[in-house]
Amino acid sequence: MILLDKNTKVVVQGATGKMGSSHTKRMIEYGTKIVAGVTPGKGGTTVHGLPVYDSVKEAVEKTGATCSVIFVPPYGSLDAGFEAVDAGIDLIVLITEGIPPQDTAKLVAHVKANGVKMVGPNCPGVITPGESLVGILPGSIFKPGATGMVSRSGTLTYEIALALTEAGIGQSTCVGIGGDPVKGTGYQEPLQMFNDDPKTEVIVMIGEIGGTAEEEAAEFIKKNVKKPVIGFIAGVTAPPGKRMGHAGAIISGGKGTAESKMKSFEKNGIKVAMTPKEVAKLVGECLKTPAKA
Amino acid sequence: MNLYEYEAKQLFAEGGIAVPPSARITKPEDLSKVHLGWPVILKCQVMSGGRGKAGGIQKVKTLEEGKEVAKKLLAMTIKDSKTESLLVEPIVNFKKEIYLAVTIDRERGCPIFIAAADGGMEIESNPNVQTVPITYPFHPYQGRALAHLLGLKGAVFAKVADIAAKLYLLFEKYDLDLAEINPLFVTEGDDVIAGDGKITINDDAMGRQKKFDGWQDKHLVDLPVRERRSKKEGLNLVELDGNIGIICNGAGLTMATMDMVKKFGGNPGNFLDAGGGSDQEKTLTAIEIVHDNPNCDVILLNILGGITACDEVAGALVEFMKRHPNRKMIVRLRGNNQDKAEKMLAESGLKLYPDIEDAVKAAVEAAKTKQPVAAR
Repeated sequence: MILLDKNTKVVVQGATGKMGSSHTKRMIEYGTKIVAGVTPGKGGTTVHGLPVYDSVKEAVEKTGATCSVIFVPPYGSLDAGFEAVDAGIDLIVLITEGIPPQDTAKLVAHVKANGVKMVGPNCPGVITPGESLVGILPGSIFKPGATGMVSRSGTLTYEIALALTEAGIGQSTCVGIGGDPVKGTGYQEPLQMFNDDPKTEVIVMIGEIGGTAEEEAAEFIKKNVKKPVIGFIAGVTAPPGKRMGHAGAIISGGKGTAESKMKSFEKNGIKVAMTPKEVAKLVGECLKTPAKA
Repeated sequence: MNLYEYEAKQLFAEGGIAVPPSARITKPEDLSKVHLGWPVILKCQVMSGGRGKAGGIQKVKTLEEGKEVAKKLLAMTIKDSKTESLLVEPIVNFKKEIYLAVTIDRERGCPIFIAAADGGMEIESNPNVQTVPITYPFHPYQGRALAHLLGLKGAVFAKVADIAAKLYLLFEKYDLDLAEINPLFVTEGDDVIAGDGKITINDDAMGRQKKFDGWQDKHLVDLPVRERRSKKEGLNLVELDGNIGIICNGAGLTMATMDMVKKFGGNPGNFLDAGGGSDQEKTLTAIEIVHDNPNCDVILLNILGGITACDEVAGALVEFMKRHPNRKMIVRLRGNNQDKAEKMLAESGLKLYPDIEDAVKAAVEAAKTKQPVAAR
């Protein structure tokens, strides 16, 4: 497992909002060690039995939280992210969708300068099945196991996790890095962590059209990752020049096509699956032959 | 949201970047009220690129000739983009054309300058293009560093550096995805003037960029009718050539569903991402929009509920089937409140496919026969 385990103490920024509150409840029910909520002006109240503080700094001091999950509206996210970094949080999971990319770029610069990890924005979050869920992933479709997953997409990740779980294959950790063009964590960091994680045997990497992150990750895998990697790319049928829902999903100037990504996967020794069920099939084959550590 | 050239130049002028004197006309006879001397250049105001090659920029020597040419240009449509108006400008005598742009570099995760000392056409294949990451907080020296990299000297160095800095400030102030000047003219007298401009405002920032309130309608004119309607409803629609309408929650899943339709022998008719957490009303709107596409013989709805509740989706389906009882509809629903959804759908006579592959195959099969016209 990577990033999260059952002891990770999590604070929720925006825990009293509609979305923040309902997901705080679901995370607590899953077993995540949620220790506090933060909503400026609501310090001293409670949410789902947890204390609410006015600032992240106060929450960290009182609870020892090391992870913050952010559910604040798009235009407040830059501020909330800076607050988390400056309060000494180690891992930020930024769920919010629709943050202007220049705000994200400013936040990413601050995060990197301070050695903090950030997953997101516009992401479903991170889950270590059976231990901790931080974000909005539906916990019930995951189960503990030896497959690490890293993905740019939300519901597609659920679809593939479901195919794995139904095939009897569990997951070590699943990281949704988010669909925005500018983000805190790309593919390479989780790939390296999965490679170094003794509980992960196989890695599933889920990509989509747009940009060249998958191509760069494929080269990174060839050089650095010793475990088998199964790849899936969405958007084979996407027309060029059109933004396919995600802000980052656009083929521009002939770059970012599914074909280019799949070729790059194959060239670098990554097996490409064409459907979610085929992902499960390929992972299953790798699990039978033990990984060459 | 993309701006027209004349709007981009208004922003440049506001930001202190020199632009040529100009007038904008919407009728040929308005040319008689323009006092810029002769000859002048008439430029079609369109959203599409390749305007010059398509004949959308013309030089005219007299008022008479100008009126005649203006009439033709105003009636032009360039790559599906209708001419909105004409921009009239005097001819700029230049000795050099520079390319200058600010955009976000998705791989580096920061804004960058893109520039070339020899701008003009075919910038994508120009080997002299420089890309320079912009660091926070921005200071004007970053513009000077760029001008130095372009090999500029003296007054032109100072002016280009100043324009680069001002272009970045506009980029930041208005949440732009792209601010581009191409060409940036250097005149015989060493003046530096923006000859053409392209500006894209980030769609997610429209809610806080009050200057552009109400601009959306005018700037979405080139989009097909249903894509425009979707955009207003907060849905992401892209129409394709096939006959299987597709609605999913989440962009990645929507694309993967399209790909599976193709893999199993069908042709996707659209991409429609209804987003996460859509309620009954929004889901119903999404289905109605796909239903309105005359090429669509079957609708495939694939929802894997994370934050979307299945009963909300089922509610929308029940209502939709009441309105259009003969519509061929394949439904895959899985997630929160699935049992409740199943019961609701059974009453509408809709079968529920829990498995994605089964649903896709059923849709492909159903798409082999045409949707009866009476069902619309």
